Amino acid sequence: MNDTLHLFPSRAAGPFGRRVKHARGGRIPVTIVTGFLGAGKTTLLRQFLASPQGRGTAVIVNEFGAIGIDDALVRDAAEATVLLGNGCACCVTRSDLQVALRRLVAERDRGLLPPFGRIVIETSGLADPGPILQTFATDRALGAAFHAEVAVAVVDAVTGLATLDWSPEARKQIILADRLVITKTDLSDAAATARLTERLAALNPRAAIDIAVNGALDPQRLIAAADDGALPRTGFAAEAAHADGIVSFVLTDTAPVAWTPFARMMETLTALRGRDLLRVKGLLDVAGCRGPVLVQFVQHLAHPPVELAAWPDGDRTSRLVFITRGVSETSVRALFDAVRAVAEW
Amino acid sequence: MPADKNPRQDAEAVTWNFKLLAQHELGGFGGMGEGMSIQIAPDGRRVLWLAHESAPKNFTAVDVSDPRAPKVVVQTDLPQSFMRSNSLETVGNIMAVAYQTQQPGQQPAGFELFDISNPETPKSIAFVDASGPHSRGVHQLWFCDGEYVHLSGGAADFTPRNQLDDQCYRIFDVRNPSKPTEVGRWWLPGTRDGDAAPPPARQQPPHDKGFRAHNTNVYPQRPDRCYLGYIDGGMFVLDIADKARPKVISGWKNSPPYTGFCHTVLPLFDRNLLIVTDESTMDDGGDWPKLVWIVDAREEKNLVPIATCPAPSYDAFAHRGGRFGAHNIHENVPLPTCWHSDEIVLGTFFNAGLRAYDISNPYQPKEVAAFVPPAPALAPNGTIQLNDCFVDERRVVYTVDRHAGGLYILEMDF
Repeated sequence: MNDTLHLFPSRAAGPFGRRVKHARGGRIPVTIVTGFLGAGKTTLLRQFLASPQGRGTAVIVNEFGAIGIDDALVRDAAEATVLLGNGCACCVTRSDLQVALRRLVAERDRGLLPPFGRIVIETSGLADPGPILQTFATDRALGAAFHAEVAVAVVDAVTGLATLDWSPEARKQIILADRLVITKTDLSDAAATARLTERLAALNPRAAIDIAVNGALDPQRLIAAADDGALPRTGFAAEAAHADGIVSFVLTDTAPVAWTPFARMMETLTALRGRDLLRVKGLLDVAGCRGPVLVQFVQHLAHPPVELAAWPDGDRTSRLVFITRGVSETSVRALFDAVRAVAEW
Repeated sequence: MPADKNPRQDAEAVTWNFKLLAQHELGGFGGMGEGMSIQIAPDGRRVLWLAHESAPKNFTAVDVSDPRAPKVVVQTDLPQSFMRSNSLETVGNIMAVAYQTQQPGQQPAGFELFDISNPETPKSIAFVDASGPHSRGVHQLWFCDGEYVHLSGGAADFTPRNQLDDQCYRIFDVRNPSKPTEVGRWWLPGTRDGDAAPPPARQQPPHDKGFRAHNTNVYPQRPDRCYLGYIDGGMFVLDIADKARPKVISGWKNSPPYTGFCHTVLPLFDRNLLIVTDESTMDDGGDWPKLVWIVDAREEKNLVPIATCPAPSYDAFAHRGGRFGAHNIHENVPLPTCWHSDEIVLGTFFNAGLRAYDISNPYQPKEVAAFVPPAPALAPNGTIQLNDCFVDERRVVYTVDRHAGGLYILEMDF
């Protein structure tokens, strides 16, 4: 809760501060693009940057965790910002994503870079999106200035299925993504693409799957904000078990949710099993709030909750997506019910 | 860091979390002052009345019923080239317009009331003469309750010790609009010839702009208070329960060390905050920094500044051309045609455009939107110089250029 609202109350504000039109509020939206080497991330990005929607985008190519020893010697020299056309800029970072983000904004504000309004982070092939999402999770760090709006995983139709078979990192990228893009369908066949699509849907029932034809994708689909915990496309909300012990499920509730028991429940869960909460995200109908409250947790870190001005689809059902390692839906429900029962004594 | 470390010469326009709906150059007379007010005309049209910054034009009315298709309704001329209107307000179908002159003693100077029930043909109801040997007339006026005009202006019987201090706070009863009557005035003690108080210590040149009134805001939540910007005198909260004898409740001055020119005080009553602006009046960042201040007013007699809205970058804007710094803000004018917010502050910053700040946490205002349009054609400084802004109750944002660009109409996207 916003403590300063107690000192200087505003009748217009909700318990979580100003109600915002978009989840990002006044923060810079960030799109995270993952995908294995050769999946076609760079081709997609290049197209996007040349499009009207891509105007004013700053790209960070994040090779965190992918350097060799000798690269470390040229690390600083390589971290330069290159001006692209269409009001875009690009920098490569091998060391610290937070430093790169802050530097981009500082240079923009001083007029040294074009006035970008969005950041796209392109990750290296083996990257685990979890730590990147965590980077934005705390208010004091970057969460106040940036909003991780959408994580997009790119998979190529030729080698994608095989990669998913042998690589837990690839599976994790798919499971944590908000949206999936299949590339190179022109180099594969319809049956293989269908098998890949089925596999992707099984790994991540919530994510929309787009097909980039000949490398072309509607630029809006790269950056459109995630559905923020919309109910799964098929309406099928049962717990999905993936390889590597990863479990995903959606908790829903048609009744308003009391904030304090919910917050206490999540505190307990993150304290005890934080490292197994890969991603928790959703919209809650919090008792006393007019609009939905967007909540996000990455492992033990909670994003500051944000109240939106309106429900995106008019349906006030609370919906919270859990992607965990070994934390089951039954146990989370039981914990929530127990805490709520105590609160209502 | 790019190889070229100098600020970008091809300064780019910025539209972040605003959507531009329309621009209108007002027939080539796009130099606008700080008078912006919306009337719902008897025929239902939404008319935005705008005061021009300087002669030859007086005011322009724009039909903004469809904010994407603004249309000029009427545009009038000043009788003399040494006059400027710069400030106006409307209440119902009555409009008050200020007239200031370049030199003391010139005429006509004062303010005029118009019947605007037919916007195409504004009809003069009354003219109040505020000319005088030491007066340049009226710089700014506030008229929202239909009863009183609160203004900053000179008077025939006001002789300042220093000519720069020529405009005090004056209150006029206009309940009979054809016979406005002055009912009170206040000036900073020491600035008028004959005052017992000593003259105030002046700002060092070139920042000595005068101890005189600028904005004189009065709101129905506290009709007994005037929130007064007093240029180099800082700001004051006055008790005007007895309009004939305004009394100082408290004041706050940031100058020196700042460069003076306190302009507007916006009270946020529910939150006990004041938003205070200083105006940039020199080109090239010569009086930088000119800021928007957040003041804790929980104790009315002890005002505590707690934050400033994060200013646009000096490196990026100071030498871009023209003025750079704070000036006007959206003032929550107490009329049904005005948006009221105590969470968002919108302000104009000349060549740094229009900025919106989220002050939910008043200790840490955050910029949430920016609009820096390209330099208008014929811009004398080669840059935009956004001068004032107003948001109507539909949340449509209007902002004006000081020299040539005219009117920009925007939607907030935050």
